Amino acid sequence: MTSLPVPPPAELAAALAQVVGPAQVLTRAPSLQVYRSDGLPGHRALPSLAVFPGTRDEVVGVLRVLATHGAPFVARGAGTGLSGGALADGITLVGLHRLKRILAIDPVARTATVEPGVVNATLTRAVAAHGLHYAPDPSSQAACTIGGNIAENAGGPHCLKYGVTLDHVLRATVALPSGEVVTLDRGDAGGYDLLGAFVGSEGCFGVALDVTVRLTPDPEGVVTLLADFTNLRAAAEATSRIIAAGIVPAALELMDQGTIAAVESSVYAAGYPRDAAAVLLAEVDGALAGLDADAEAIAAHCRAAGARDVRVAREATDRARLWQGRKKAFGAMGRVAPHLVVQDAVVPRTRLADVLETIQAIGTRYGIAVCNVFHAGDGNLHPNIPYDADDAEASARVHAAMTEIMTACIDAGGSITGEHGVGLDKLGYMDALFTPETLDAMCSLRTVFDPDRRANPGKAVPVHACREWQAVPAARRAPR
Amino acid sequence: MTTHRPETDLALAALVREAATAGTSLRIRGAGAWMDAGHPVAASATLDVTAFTGVTAYAPDDLTLSCGAATTLAELEAATRAHGQWCPLLPWGSDTGTVGATLATATTGPFGDRLGRPRQLVLGVRAVDGRGRIVEAGGRVVKNVAGFDLTRAITGSWGTLAVLTHVHLRLRARPTVDETWCVVGADEAALDAFVRGPLAPLGTVALSIEDAAALALPGPGCLLRLGGNAPFVAAARQVVRSLGDASAVDPAVWANVRVRCAPPSRATAWRWDALSLALRAQFDPAGILNPGLLGATR
Repeated sequence: MTSLPVPPPAELAAALAQVVGPAQVLTRAPSLQVYRSDGLPGHRALPSLAVFPGTRDEVVGVLRVLATHGAPFVARGAGTGLSGGALADGITLVGLHRLKRILAIDPVARTATVEPGVVNATLTRAVAAHGLHYAPDPSSQAACTIGGNIAENAGGPHCLKYGVTLDHVLRATVALPSGEVVTLDRGDAGGYDLLGAFVGSEGCFGVALDVTVRLTPDPEGVVTLLADFTNLRAAAEATSRIIAAGIVPAALELMDQGTIAAVESSVYAAGYPRDAAAVLLAEVDGALAGLDADAEAIAAHCRAAGARDVRVAREATDRARLWQGRKKAFGAMGRVAPHLVVQDAVVPRTRLADVLETIQAIGTRYGIAVCNVFHAGDGNLHPNIPYDADDAEASARVHAAMTEIMTACIDAGGSITGEHGVGLDKLGYMDALFTPETLDAMCSLRTVFDPDRRANPGKAVPVHACREWQAVPAARRAPR
Repeated sequence: MTTHRPETDLALAALVREAATAGTSLRIRGAGAWMDAGHPVAASATLDVTAFTGVTAYAPDDLTLSCGAATTLAELEAATRAHGQWCPLLPWGSDTGTVGATLATATTGPFGDRLGRPRQLVLGVRAVDGRGRIVEAGGRVVKNVAGFDLTRAITGSWGTLAVLTHVHLRLRARPTVDETWCVVGADEAALDAFVRGPLAPLGTVALSIEDAAALALPGPGCLLRLGGNAPFVAAARQVVRSLGDASAVDPAVWANVRVRCAPPSRATAWRWDALSLALRAQFDPAGILNPGLLGATR
């Protein structure tokens, strides 16, 4: 495969060390091992070197050096991503975890300005005293960074009511891959929605230097409900009924039998009924007035759909216990097998029951266990497969099953990712989801921000879809 | 001036490609309700998009709807009201305007903060860009991060990147209780606390003496819309009554409020920075779509 005339790492490393100091540049394979994967097993690649700027000026300096050398790079936060998006295959990795300052909190305007390496949950803790929180809550929120959340347009259980990352980002200062610094906003004062284009661009458009986010007032009251069902279809139907009735729960999560078993056998046991085929975890929050009416309506819809029992938790400790199993479900699956594919797809909510049955049938056919734990209210599926990634035969079966599951979601009118991004893992499905002209237009959008295609090359949109890229002399193309 | 009225995406794409080659500029026109952005447009032909109309898919239980871009807001309202739902775009201006124009201009309204702005309510679009590419961005599901976000780039671009032909929208259930109150002499601090608090209204608009007279409202003061389940609205109503001299009014007044109280066009202050120029150059390199609408590009 042809590739860019990548400068020898020693020369590039020396130039980068001038910017950040030699201690913040790694070039030896053993120390680079930490960065060979993200949260998704099955994709592994070593960067040729890693550099860790500590200030925004250093980030800009690093990007300028990379631009001067024509060197491709991958920006990385906490590495909790689930699409292989933060992998740097033989190129430079720019780690941003040192940029972890909260620059400003404005409790009156309800905004905070943070550096990209600030951990999601850290921000919420920092503003708690003001009765505020940062609403997007990916399951990895104790580790994932705001910068990574922006790259992926991350979601989370409470995005059902409060919206995904994009709905909470007001402004960003961004270093383009050229090293030029720009300010992006939603264009509300008269301009294109450049921030809307940037959020979710999977590190292909540039590096955020600081981000101003919206903070959300803590609700007056919260009620969490757990409904258990003796069949999966009934749980999916309860979801459809609740959504169709116009109730907007703060969260509406579904866990199936495999997930319940994994959780209840683990240290995260949440008291879910072990003999249930599925449980629905629903939460309503907001003003105290009207809260119980919504909770009762949800309980009634669950019972009408066939729920065996509906538990209601109002106290913080009881609610936290019900949530623990959901938030730690992925960790609990660690008991089942050494690796876990946390998948991500979306279907129209009315198709949930059908698609879940199809997924079960696919799993049975390939002899693999699929544990579903997902954002039912959004139709955002997470079919998870515990397996041994070092077993080539098992990996092949998992891959084949995943392909069929993705196809089923596309056929149902859905999407291949709701919140994890395309990264490397989903590239192969993009042609099934989008027309060649649409993919080509996506390449045009990337060209606006990164004309040299040096930022996270080979991710998000398949290179073959980009007509103009094909016209570029091969020597100028970034390596995969 | 010549008017073209293509009836399919393919015909529109062919027309745009031809125009790009010939350097023929096109003024995009739907219902003609949003033509003025404060800048003169010098186009050689009109591109009438009214053939792209009507609801094409509606799954009430999914709370999603797809329709042609030239579908009017009034048609959208009628289609969804029958199922107790709405697409709460409810932008400033008249319901004779189209869904496509609302998205193309990203025009929000008095309820945008609470019920969603156009960029939040749009799930996907089909559009023909200035190169004649038929772009199908986003999708019909409510959560989707596959690929780069063309939907966000095109929404609010005033037709300078692409011509919208079809849109996929997020719907919401109408609130069980929906009340509108006019409050005269409200205490500013108390009103502010209410609007920022847990019982916040769906939207609020300040009324001048002239507004109140023209809209036949008790004002001057403020107009508040309360929406939610019965206990919620009951609690909110109590607060509203404590704010000042409050009287319940017909919610139908909002249609007139949205016309009368509309803020001036934001397009007059368009920011043409280097990235914006690059964006336009990528999607409409010949500069044939709505040229000049957003002011001089250099």
